[in-house]
Amino acid sequence: MLIKLIRYMRGYGKESVLGPLFKLLEATFELFVPLVIASMIDKGIRLENTAHIWKMGGVLLLLGVVGLAFSITAQYFAARAAVGTSAEIRRTLFERTTRLSAQQLDKNGVAGLTQRLTGDVDQVQNGINLTLRLLLRSPFVVFGAMVMAFFVDAGSAWIFAVAIPILGAVVFGVMAWSLPLFKRAQKAMDLAMGITRENLTGARVIRAFGRENEENERFTNQAEALSDRKRRAGHVSALTGPLTCVVVNLALAALIYTGALRVEGGVISQGELVALVNYMSQILVELIKFANLIVSITKAMACFNRVQSVIELDENAPGDENGRVSFGESDTVVKFESVTFTYPGAGAPSIKDVSFEAKKGETVGIVGPTGSGKSTIAQLITRFYDATEGKISMYGKDVTALSSKDIRRRTGVVEQKTLLFSGTISENIRWGKTDADEGEITSALQNAQGLDIVKAKAEGLEAPVGQGGRALSGGQRQRVAIARALIRKPEILILDDSASALDFATDARLRAAIRNMQGESTVFIISQRASSVRHADKILVMEEGCVKAMGTHDQLMDESDLYREIYFSQFPEGEAYV
Amino acid sequence: MFKNMKTLKTLLKYLGKARYLVALSLLFALVTVALTLYIPVLTGQAVDLALGKGDVDISGIGFILIKISACAILLALFQWLLSVVNNRLSFDTARDVRIAAFKKIGRLKVKTIDSRPVGDTLSRVITDIDHLSDGVLMGLTQVFTGVITIVATLVFMVSMNGWIALAVVIVTPLSFVVSGFVARRTYSMFRAQAGERSEITRIVDETIGGMRTVQAFSREKDMVESFDAANERLKKCSLRAIFFSSITNPSTRFVNSVVYALVAVCGSLMSVFGVGALSIGDLTCFLSYASQYTKPFNEISSVVAEFQNALACAARVFEFIDGEELEKEDAGQADLTKVEGRVEFKNLSFSYDPKKPLIENLNLTALPGQKIAIVGPTGCGKTTLINLLMRFYEPDEGEILIDGISATDYTRSDLRSLFGMVLQDTWLRAGTVMENIKYANPVATDDMAIEAAKQARAHGFITRLPNGYDTVLTEDGGGLSQGQKQLLCIARVMLRDPKMLILDEATSSIDTRTEMRIQDAFARLMAGRTSFVVAHRLSTIRTADKIVAMKDGKIMEIGTHEELIKKNGFYHDLYMSQYR
Repeated sequence: MLIKLIRYMRGYGKESVLGPLFKLLEATFELFVPLVIASMIDKGIRLENTAHIWKMGGVLLLLGVVGLAFSITAQYFAARAAVGTSAEIRRTLFERTTRLSAQQLDKNGVAGLTQRLTGDVDQVQNGINLTLRLLLRSPFVVFGAMVMAFFVDAGSAWIFAVAIPILGAVVFGVMAWSLPLFKRAQKAMDLAMGITRENLTGARVIRAFGRENEENERFTNQAEALSDRKRRAGHVSALTGPLTCVVVNLALAALIYTGALRVEGGVISQGELVALVNYMSQILVELIKFANLIVSITKAMACFNRVQSVIELDENAPGDENGRVSFGESDTVVKFESVTFTYPGAGAPSIKDVSFEAKKGETVGIVGPTGSGKSTIAQLITRFYDATEGKISMYGKDVTALSSKDIRRRTGVVEQKTLLFSGTISENIRWGKTDADEGEITSALQNAQGLDIVKAKAEGLEAPVGQGGRALSGGQRQRVAIARALIRKPEILILDDSASALDFATDARLRAAIRNMQGESTVFIISQRASSVRHADKILVMEEGCVKAMGTHDQLMDESDLYREIYFSQFPEGEAYV
Repeated sequence: MFKNMKTLKTLLKYLGKARYLVALSLLFALVTVALTLYIPVLTGQAVDLALGKGDVDISGIGFILIKISACAILLALFQWLLSVVNNRLSFDTARDVRIAAFKKIGRLKVKTIDSRPVGDTLSRVITDIDHLSDGVLMGLTQVFTGVITIVATLVFMVSMNGWIALAVVIVTPLSFVVSGFVARRTYSMFRAQAGERSEITRIVDETIGGMRTVQAFSREKDMVESFDAANERLKKCSLRAIFFSSITNPSTRFVNSVVYALVAVCGSLMSVFGVGALSIGDLTCFLSYASQYTKPFNEISSVVAEFQNALACAARVFEFIDGEELEKEDAGQADLTKVEGRVEFKNLSFSYDPKKPLIENLNLTALPGQKIAIVGPTGCGKTTLINLLMRFYEPDEGEILIDGISATDYTRSDLRSLFGMVLQDTWLRAGTVMENIKYANPVATDDMAIEAAKQARAHGFITRLPNGYDTVLTEDGGGLSQGQKQLLCIARVMLRDPKMLILDEATSSIDTRTEMRIQDAFARLMAGRTSFVVAHRLSTIRTADKIVAMKDGKIMEIGTHEELIKKNGFYHDLYMSQYR
């Protein structure tokens, strides 16, 4: 894990080395302080040499000034490295999330991923910053104090050598214990975030059903669980301080006893005993800092693990990996051969044994009851998922050999649930074609029957749509989304129930406009409305995942009971041609 | 600074609830500090018993060392208890603030929710409160301990040697000057950092929420680019905030070094000249105090840096909690059991944007049990009428009367309890299918829920899900198609048995064949209930008692299907267009 973290720090190698280095230099100066005091006692007080006392006082001040300079330099480098590295992690993670497969997105959830990118990365940043500033410094001071103690009196310094490994065991033992507890706490946090999100997006429904109190209760329980887990993790990690305190103080007692015997024997002076005691207290001070540091690092590592687990998700989900065959020349744009698909984790397949083909320029209509697998076909064409069984080919080539990026470049999709992004109307339409000029945008909007949206706005095409397109009504959003798909003059155009928020007149004009558009788009119209697919060259009638009938409107009216039933549910017999 | 005080005051109000914990924390801190300070005294005494070769009182030292060991064990115990109490204090308070913030969401105007990015609110309720609990609360407890240590150390030092104590007291406030100076300059930096952070949250929320669309249009690179720009800005803000705040610690440590040197020199000189009878053991003890005494200053100052960040976050949280909300209501006056369902819109005017009037002077009456269909082109104000009827928004002028009583004389929740509503924008919560169906009526039995699902024609697809009714849906019903979600929403409302019904494009994503079958169930549900139906699919509303055809916020025509078709006007054209 650590090695992976270091990889993100590569751009900040200089800072990551210089930060701790300056810290160590500062610490080194600190280690001289007890020696200076010892000399003050033995040479100054004992020999009543005031000049020496003043001189040593000056040395102490000097050590302080140098320490200050080094320390500020260290802080600067540490901050640079921490902020830079976490920005790099955040960038990598965000970039990775944009490449997650549909099922990976479903599994991780929006709230979870958002937390990874915000709170978690913040914790990592904090952890790196503290680590660079203190992680090396504290052990260095601890070991440095031991070395200095050996230098003062090897005969009593063995106590340091015994105490330090025990201290190490305490610190790391507590860390190993608390790490999983912190992870659990973080999970509770994700759940709390999920509930909050739901309550923001579902405010209308919750209020309509008067469930505010139950929602409050649900969140209260979750907040309860969260604080509970955090508390438990906190209690365990708080053991470090008291345990090290006991060990150090017992060691201090042992040191004084041994030291006193050595003074009695005339091996060391009183000043040297004081120096030994001072070194032991330095260890104590450092360890307290270290214990706090460990808590932060533990948290940061837990967060980094969570971040890394997203970054390292399997890349081989339908993707754009290597090589890739180029598209063929075949006239058959899309061909399904006995395709069966089961959503990951689902019990039953969503489509079963589906076969059909769509030729260049054809319009294919797909109708069927809710949940009959219509949209799944669209998801498979755009390779958000790959077929579980059977073969899908495009222009004669197996889609699994084509890059999904290339497929999507040739496809224009308008989904059931329309999503726009913060920005202006024209910016959103340019999603379809980055270099589109105003004329192209206007004509795409015209074809999408959306010119009136722009006319109604003072800013025209530059009117902002708000997050998710909130500033527009459902029907307006849908038409902007249609324009976004039309502007790229896609080879394959998929309208996945995309006229649901449009009234019939607008829907009819839209279909006429698409028919009259130049170019040879193969169009898939997935709809509930018989009127939407009626003029298609080929209509697939689906039920429970299977293609029950296929043909033109007239053929199906003759041959398919199911189609007739769907048709007459909208156009009651006798009234159909008023 | 004034704003800071306000934030701090609010925070203290939350802390006030845990008064006994604060008291315990103070008590434990006191014991911990006393023991911490007593150990150096003992150490000093021991050092004074080891004067030189052949001049050491071993048994005396032994006795002192036993005392040191006992103190150390007690100290460890109290230290841990202190942490336990402080953890409780900080996490309980964070929990209370978080619950308050969450409850606030339920009291926000729908308008506010519609206009505020979801990511921004999320970052306040989740991330900011986390920073608050880490920074402010842990900080406050450290400040408690720190202040106690400072006071106690002073007392110990004055009792040992007033002169050296005086020297220490004069120099140490320098720490405060330094840290105060830094803190003042960094607050605005932390505030800027929190702002950039919420911008990042906004981008992340939007992109991840719409990832399918992003990928379908191969816009990954562009999203990464706009994220990078925000990330770069955050990096700059963070570097400034973190570096400048981290100057505090070395600076105050430097002040310590000065104090340490001062104590060493003064102590040594006094010892040489025999002033104040200072022994070497006393000097050792003093030196250890000099660092004990200044350590809390360090801690307080390093806490101050963290504190600034946390306070900036706390300010955002409290700003949210104290923000505009729905006015408080008196208990409703109307007797809900007797509501018959007569609904009148009287001289109603409303617009989302004052510059663009939408609904102007609209009048409409629905008699009890009538089925009112509202039709019209996209954006004509159909959904707005529903928003007003449910009091998600309040009219600018005019009023809505239910059984002759103004809608504002009912409490919002009473009013809403009269309605069953299915919206085009399906919302399901994370939970099982069963939980979702029962959402509108938690006391319903499983059998009732299954019956409702059957009526809504949702039973079939539900049984095909991996775990049937116990299948767990992720946020927003992920994995279900739009139509399946709508069927669940319909089943949900069927279970509610409301006085009145609102169907806003309730079947827009459901195929007409299934819809026809649901219609029977709807017909039964609507029988005797006033219903408002918004639909594009005109075939579904022909049986309405009254069809209201709207355009640009105005009512063009009102009448039954036959009347309006005969009129050969606006509705006629609208109706015929679906057959073209």
